[in-house]
Amino acid sequence: MSPVLGAALDRVDGRAKVTGAARYSGELNLPNLAHAVLVGARVPSGRIIGIDCRQASVADGVLTVLTHLDLPRVAARPKLFPSLFGLTAHGQSFFPMQDDVVHYAGQPVAMVVADTVERAEHAATLVQVNYAETPSVTLLDQGRDQTYEPAKIFGGLLPGRNPTRGDPEAGLRDAAVRLDVTYRFAANHQNPIEPSTTTAVWDDLDRLTLHDATQGPTATQLSVAELLGLPPTMVRVVSHYVGGSFGAKALIWAHPTLAALAARRVGRPVRLVLSREQMFHSCGHREEQEQRIGLGADRDGRLGALRHDKTSLTSHYDDWAETSLEAPAVMYAAATYAGGYRLARGNTITPTFTRGPGAATGMFALESAMDELAYEIGVDPLELRLRNHTDVDPSTGNPWSSKGLRECYQRGAELFGWSGRDPRPGARRDGDWLVGTGMASAAYPVAAPMNPQRARARMYADGSAVVEAGISEFGTGALTAMTQVAADGLGLPFDRVRFVGGTTDLPNIAAAVGSAGSGATSSAVHLASTGLRDQLVGQAVADARSPLHNADPAGIVVRDGRMCLRDSPQTGETYVELLRRNHMPDVEALGVWQPTPPDGGGHGMFTFGAQFAEVAVDADLGLVRVRRLVGVFAPGRVLNRRTAHSQLMGGMLWGLGQALLEATRMDPHTGRWANASLADYLVPVNADVPDITIDTIEVPDSVVNPLGVKGVGEIGIVGTSAAIANAVHHATGRRIRHLPITVEDLL
Amino acid sequence: MVLPRSEMEFLQPESWAEALAVRAAYPEALPVAGGTDVMVELNFARRRPPALLDLGRVAGLADWGTEDGLLRLGAGVPYRRIVTELAGRAPGLAMAARTIGSAQIRNRGTVGGNLGSASPAGDALPPLLAAGALVELASVRGVRRVPVAGFCTGPKRSMLAPDELIAAVLLPPDAGPEQFAKVGTRNAMVIAVCSFALALRPVSRTVGTGIGSAAPTPVRAAAAEELLVAELPWADRAALPEPLVRRFGELVAAAASPIDDVRGTAAYRRHALGVLAGRAVRRAWAEHRRGGVRG
Ligand SMILES: Cc1cc2nc3c(=O)[nH]c(=O)nc-3n(C[C@H](O)[C@H](O)[C@H](O)COP(=O)(O)OP(=O)(O)OC[C@H]3O[C@@H](n4cnc5c(N)ncnc54)[C@H](O)[C@@H]3O)c2cc1C
Repeated sequence: MSPVLGAALDRVDGRAKVTGAARYSGELNLPNLAHAVLVGARVPSGRIIGIDCRQASVADGVLTVLTHLDLPRVAARPKLFPSLFGLTAHGQSFFPMQDDVVHYAGQPVAMVVADTVERAEHAATLVQVNYAETPSVTLLDQGRDQTYEPAKIFGGLLPGRNPTRGDPEAGLRDAAVRLDVTYRFAANHQNPIEPSTTTAVWDDLDRLTLHDATQGPTATQLSVAELLGLPPTMVRVVSHYVGGSFGAKALIWAHPTLAALAARRVGRPVRLVLSREQMFHSCGHREEQEQRIGLGADRDGRLGALRHDKTSLTSHYDDWAETSLEAPAVMYAAATYAGGYRLARGNTITPTFTRGPGAATGMFALESAMDELAYEIGVDPLELRLRNHTDVDPSTGNPWSSKGLRECYQRGAELFGWSGRDPRPGARRDGDWLVGTGMASAAYPVAAPMNPQRARARMYADGSAVVEAGISEFGTGALTAMTQVAADGLGLPFDRVRFVGGTTDLPNIAAAVGSAGSGATSSAVHLASTGLRDQLVGQAVADARSPLHNADPAGIVVRDGRMCLRDSPQTGETYVELLRRNHMPDVEALGVWQPTPPDGGGHGMFTFGAQFAEVAVDADLGLVRVRRLVGVFAPGRVLNRRTAHSQLMGGMLWGLGQALLEATRMDPHTGRWANASLADYLVPVNADVPDITIDTIEVPDSVVNPLGVKGVGEIGIVGTSAAIANAVHHATGRRIRHLPITVEDLL
Repeated sequence: MVLPRSEMEFLQPESWAEALAVRAAYPEALPVAGGTDVMVELNFARRRPPALLDLGRVAGLADWGTEDGLLRLGAGVPYRRIVTELAGRAPGLAMAARTIGSAQIRNRGTVGGNLGSASPAGDALPPLLAAGALVELASVRGVRRVPVAGFCTGPKRSMLAPDELIAAVLLPPDAGPEQFAKVGTRNAMVIAVCSFALALRPVSRTVGTGIGSAAPTPVRAAAAEELLVAELPWADRAALPEPLVRRFGELVAAAASPIDDVRGTAAYRRHALGVLAGRAVRRAWAEHRRGGVRG
């Protein structure tokens, strides 16, 4: 591998982004553009008994007002399915404005289209809707007596109950030390800074182009085509820059299809932008939930049993739970295990992926419980983790594709200064502040798509190359990292390669979700680039006029666009010489990666890490301030150290938000979110960011994908909140078993 | 394009006299200084004034200096300049200014706007109360100076008459030790759960307080002030007796009339005010004992 792979290079799109040259979906100004604004249901449950659009219809600039009475019926009932798999990827099995039933507050009940966005917004306030409201369930507590165990969750892909190992009830009964604790989690919203936006344009040939803010252009294409009853060939999606997603744009919700229907109705391009408040009602969220953990251990803390049960709220039509049990189930060598999901139906949009889905909550529960166990038996929390470390995937007995967790613990403990920690809670004071430290393990599944992942590499006779795949850039640094992968594969200097994504015209790539984007895309890009390189090497070897004629291709290396013999580098020629001599304007290759099967062909595939936190708690005011975070992760190969660092840091700050700030509060009287704005839903700001140290352990992994990339998108959040809560306990002696932790918990 | 009928007029006087004339002629025009409250209200369609009266170009409104022996702070001085230029002369206000919003908000936002909004959570108001500041209101009819303590008459309501503009605030020239503290869920960009300001004036042996976000308007804690006036060991600058600190905290908490809301409960606000008050008096007294350069 050349040094370009992993180098901390500047973002190729950095300048365009900071100067505003980068165009986001909502910034596209098309001639004759009209604007659609949605009207959301004011009640969480019931029927629409009257809808009066007369005033709205005659308001200045209004082109049309659509309701369930006149919106065309969609061609198929959507079916919830995760976008990682490259198929249609609806966020929920429900499409609005097809009948008069209201399932949740904020559900679109009308859509106004006008010539300016202000006029559309104004007219939207004039639509009068009357409801016959029926009793609703919007809190987990209201649905608690009606819970059920779903047969399947996650779009039908996972069982509602994990495979049981051994006899965990006996394991718990016979354990010397037992713990049975319940942790509760507020609902969370993803809150990307760019709201979801779609601009829909129909052309003269009835082809639809959608400029959509999405994590998966193909997912938008296939999902909208299905709802409109069109072949995918008639739907094109453009999505170059996306202003963050965090799961909000991972699946396809109603708005792109509604924008397309509006554009067809008014015969003009239509832009639909969700308002900040609508972002809280329109693209799912992390569901309110509680998790019960049973641990059984011997006196030394070795786990004999782990029982992990989750109860959460889902919609009336989907069995969705974020997969909180998966990472905890394989974290430690517990001899026996049981775990399952229970759901309560409520008046909510189907919950969805949110920043480290599943693992962020599941590992909070497990790692808080492990800290409680460490105190119960009087063992250092890190030592307890090491005693339960497992070199095989305990759910199957298979080896890991790679692990590196021991190294993460060790490096993290060194960087943090963990050793010699005084375990006594509430024993360190610094002025008004009580100071404490805590740690937690992190684990996140390495997911892969199921369909082939493709990229195309084309080199021109001047030795420059363009590599293409249909990904969107939603802030991760993917364009930069993929340029590095391409330059490495082609043997070209970084600045001779351009990576292009952002439309469904390009070779198909699954949505970049579940931290799998860099693995999937880098695999296709690597195969396309090395495929093109091998093709050119093959051509040189076959070319009687090449200095490399008849050389063994295996003995040829390419550096800076020049092919030469590894053992006598003076023998060789450049790509340019080869192409010019043969009058070839360009050459092209397609790279196709058939992903590793979900079971890793007999391997457990997870990314691991270790988190450490120091907090200060104001003894009299209950305020928690995080002073230091240290995170060390083993994400396989790192493609760009700078962007990886940013991803991991962002993840750890999500964890800080999850621990101390983030909660979407439901008002059960209205059935609506009570704090649907960024002034009331607090995320960490710069002034909250502590001293953060991040390091990576680059474990080789030959199983997950060709370059051994396990992903850095979400592992950073996992365990952070537990490390912080454990540090709060160490500081104050108080064990807070719900998130977020508030001042009033600590008084 | 035909302008929609809802188009707003934008009035931009260049002088104070012109501003007052425009204000008198169009009392329905909404004054806008930094716009950090006004633009939020317009964006959320909470307000639809027929016209905006931009004060951004009015000469002299963003100046400060001394007048009649008082520190005169023009209504248009942004928080950023209060932090960098007035930390010595108006320490409590500068401390509060430092906690407001973000760098962008501090670049634009003004004390005049904070008064104009008259929010119980306005962070500039408690230190102005504590300092015993006056608000100068002007109109074509003339100029009046009112104590800041009476300026806010209710949540988002003030004494400002429809033809008046806020010209300046006036503070005592030689501030003694001052403190400001705010409890917020995060470290910046946060509406105060509650806040407290304290001003000690050792020369006159008087004390000022201001409580924010814990009553329908910012309020003083009069009984708490009287306690310190009577019982601080002014003469010998002796150490602060702990029971006095405690009693002071209790009286400050008692002066508030907080409510439960999404940011915090009434009980927490009362408790936190007691804590903030105790800390403020400890710090201010320690500063007085240390130096007293500011006598
Ligand atoms: C992101 C954000 C964070 C914020 N954080 C804080 C915070 O931490 N603490 C805090 O206290 N506030 C905060 N605010 C609110 C706001 O910044 C302050 O209230 C600020 O002082 C308003 O000043 P301005 O000059 O921007 O006022 P404007 O928005 O221009 O005006 C506010 C009101 O005052 C009136 N007005 C302004 N000047 C005059 C005048 N000379 N005469 C008469 N009336 C006048 C206007 O008509 C309007 O009613 C925040 C706002 C935002 C958007």
